[in-house]
Amino acid sequence: MAAVTRRYHALFIVLALAVVAASVVTAVHAADTPRRGGILLAVIGADPPSLDPHQESTFATMQLVAPLYSTLIQIDPYSYPKIIGDVASEWKISPDALTYTFKIRPGIKFHDGSPLTAADVKATYDKLIFPPKETRSVRKGAYLAVASIDAPDASTVVFKLKHPSASLLENFASPWNVIYPKKYLDKDPNYFMKNVVGSGPFKFKSYTPGASFEGERNPDYFVKDRPYLNGYKFFISTETSVRAAAVRSGRAYIEFRDLPSAEVDAIKKQLGDKVVVQHTPMTGQFGIAINNTVKPFTDERVRKALTLGLDRYTGGRVLFGLTGLKDVGGLLRPGTEFAMPEADLQKLPGFGKDMEKNRAEAKKLLAEAGYPHGFKVVLKNRNVKLPYQDFAVFAIQEWRKIGIEAEHRPLETAAWFADGRDSGNFELIIAPTVEASDDPDVFLRRYTTGDTQNWGRFTDPVVDDLFSRQSRALDPAERRKVILQLQKTVLEHAYYMPGLWWSRNVVHWAKVKNYVAPPNHYANQKLQDVWLSED
Amino acid sequence: MGTYITKRLLLIVPTLIGAAALVFVIMRVIPGDVALLIFGGDQAGQIDPKQLADMRHRLGLDQPLIVQFGTWLWGVLRFDFGNSLWTGRPVIEELLIRLPLSLELAIAATIVSVLIAIPLGMLAAIRQDTWVDYLVRVVSIGGLAIPSFWVGILCILMLVIFFGWGPPLEFTPPWIDPWANFQMMIWPVVTVGYRYAAVTTRMTRSTLLEVLREDYIRTAWAKGLRERAVVIRHALKNSMLPVITLVGTEFAFLIGGLVVTETVFTLNGVGRFVVDAVAHRDYPVVQALIFLIAFGFVVVNLLVDLTYAWFDPRIRYR
Repeated sequence: MAAVTRRYHALFIVLALAVVAASVVTAVHAADTPRRGGILLAVIGADPPSLDPHQESTFATMQLVAPLYSTLIQIDPYSYPKIIGDVASEWKISPDALTYTFKIRPGIKFHDGSPLTAADVKATYDKLIFPPKETRSVRKGAYLAVASIDAPDASTVVFKLKHPSASLLENFASPWNVIYPKKYLDKDPNYFMKNVVGSGPFKFKSYTPGASFEGERNPDYFVKDRPYLNGYKFFISTETSVRAAAVRSGRAYIEFRDLPSAEVDAIKKQLGDKVVVQHTPMTGQFGIAINNTVKPFTDERVRKALTLGLDRYTGGRVLFGLTGLKDVGGLLRPGTEFAMPEADLQKLPGFGKDMEKNRAEAKKLLAEAGYPHGFKVVLKNRNVKLPYQDFAVFAIQEWRKIGIEAEHRPLETAAWFADGRDSGNFELIIAPTVEASDDPDVFLRRYTTGDTQNWGRFTDPVVDDLFSRQSRALDPAERRKVILQLQKTVLEHAYYMPGLWWSRNVVHWAKVKNYVAPPNHYANQKLQDVWLSED
Repeated sequence: MGTYITKRLLLIVPTLIGAAALVFVIMRVIPGDVALLIFGGDQAGQIDPKQLADMRHRLGLDQPLIVQFGTWLWGVLRFDFGNSLWTGRPVIEELLIRLPLSLELAIAATIVSVLIAIPLGMLAAIRQDTWVDYLVRVVSIGGLAIPSFWVGILCILMLVIFFGWGPPLEFTPPWIDPWANFQMMIWPVVTVGYRYAAVTTRMTRSTLLEVLREDYIRTAWAKGLRERAVVIRHALKNSMLPVITLVGTEFAFLIGGLVVTETVFTLNGVGRFVVDAVAHRDYPVVQALIFLIAFGFVVVNLLVDLTYAWFDPRIRYR
């Protein structure tokens, strides 16, 4: 009897284990199987000036409307910076790199029901590259090589170039270049500043300026079985602590841009495994533009002293927790294909790790330039705390150690542009560089003569020539060589002072699945693959 | 009375034109314009000077100042406040999105502040220099000393940390969902109400103390009237004139002046709209809002003056 009982016990245990094992397997499987439905709730720190990404350069526009549109090609949401198709199923580049031919997928519909054809792609890129007088195109400088655009049939678009352009394909994948229906552009090139007619995974639902923006599932989306979500909704709040509290309380599931580490730690401490933090580097750098046209900065020795006096490595440690500013690098993001290797970088002024030696060298240069006791200078800045003001305060206390007394002058954004960047009315000014990709053309154009982003107003024909050469160099190895030379030239002459490369914390509830944060807050915002494991 | 009201109404016209002209000039004196800001977002794209000039032309910023002001004023006379230079939408449309929220907040906060302030002020005055008075003074000085935004942030953080709950992020009008509206508005209303109650409490206390020392109050006591009758019927009504002025001015201020509170509680109100418009150099919006806020102030002041006659029948307007 006891043996039978033991046998039953054993059988029961085996069965129980089998049931537990089966349910674990099912649970794991269920966790990995995308679930349909739900509304993704997000918070965003700004209201968009308009809804037209062609005309705007703020994440506030991009994050709200990206899910409503398609682009010609795109950055792979799971594998930055790999390029994959979007409305283009395939593309071909001629051997001389002067003709780019794109094939458009059939059966794509805009949200108004009209078909998306090559004519719409051509109209979109005509607006971007050759904007009509009454509109503007913020990024048209990236397409200077394009001579003409043709749409020989409904599914083919051909770009003809004046000269080869190494960055062109990356620029075509820019998330800003959303495809508009031609018929609306023909009526009014500014139509999309206030209206949305896209072909993306979501359709426009509502927008209350200053409060919220909503999209709903597009059942006719051309990618089969996507999107998973029924919709998404952004709540607009300019206050960082309020956005953090919104995520913490579950009123919002994600903040796509960035939250300071202190807020992130508090959220993580309270919610534990209920939230996920994706920490990514950023295609953005905070540096200082030196006005090369005013004394004493016309003297290279003074510029070098300034850059030698900044302890970037300590800065990265001190400022990271407060601001997300972290990595020491040159003019391109550290660790990327065309970035300067650390060993080479450390040989350049201001990048060596021995700060005592750097400061001694800085003081020597200042004395040689006629400033043995340093001098006073004004550092203009934007009156935005994170990370502008924290970075400036750090730089100022660093320069004090070599005898330079900098007065911090934060300005409203409008004055920062008008009374600083655009008029050249500054000695030193905080000059960030934040772009949608690591593309060297986009990042390095600002160091060429007369470029509107050349805040420091310097001219060096060598840099201009190197920029032009790298831009047309189709062999990556050759291009890299030229780019390294360009970076070395700018940094050796201290025309501009790179500070620290930014990083970001994307905090979201663990129930938000399939979102991979790229190294900037512009890309991968279409949300077509994102799903919620629970409401 | 009729002549007085007509005179006051006529005075509104030069007051508003003066305010509009002042704002117009100030906005043009400060550096920067909306065209620059439109081109220079956080990515600060390439700005072509020709495109910038075209944009300024399109927005009418290249016209002589007097023409710009005249055009705007002519629009105002036709109740057309123009379009926002930043968003392109009609200013009135933008304002109507935000006005219900600001009005609700201003009205509710004023009611809360009056409901707190008058009884507390009275209590402090009639129990002068007792522990009750000291407590009221501490509470009211606290309200004056602690910034509303700080109280607001503390309020939100405490809700989130202790209850894992935060107020809704989007305004729902009370006629659509009263409960959702209550959940969102209660916190800013209490925060702002407390701040303004502090001011009004102190004013009520001091004016009531002054009135309680008047001869006619002494006479009332001497007649053997009960405390309630002396304080409420004789003293309180007569001490209310400065308090009414204060509450009226505060109410007018609350409609457009709660920028920080609106930011903390993600309220899409008029105050935030004004500040954003100034930052964007959105001239038509700033001019229209200042014009309308000035109009609100003038009207509230007129109403306050007219209520004086009810509180003090000796006042006669000519």
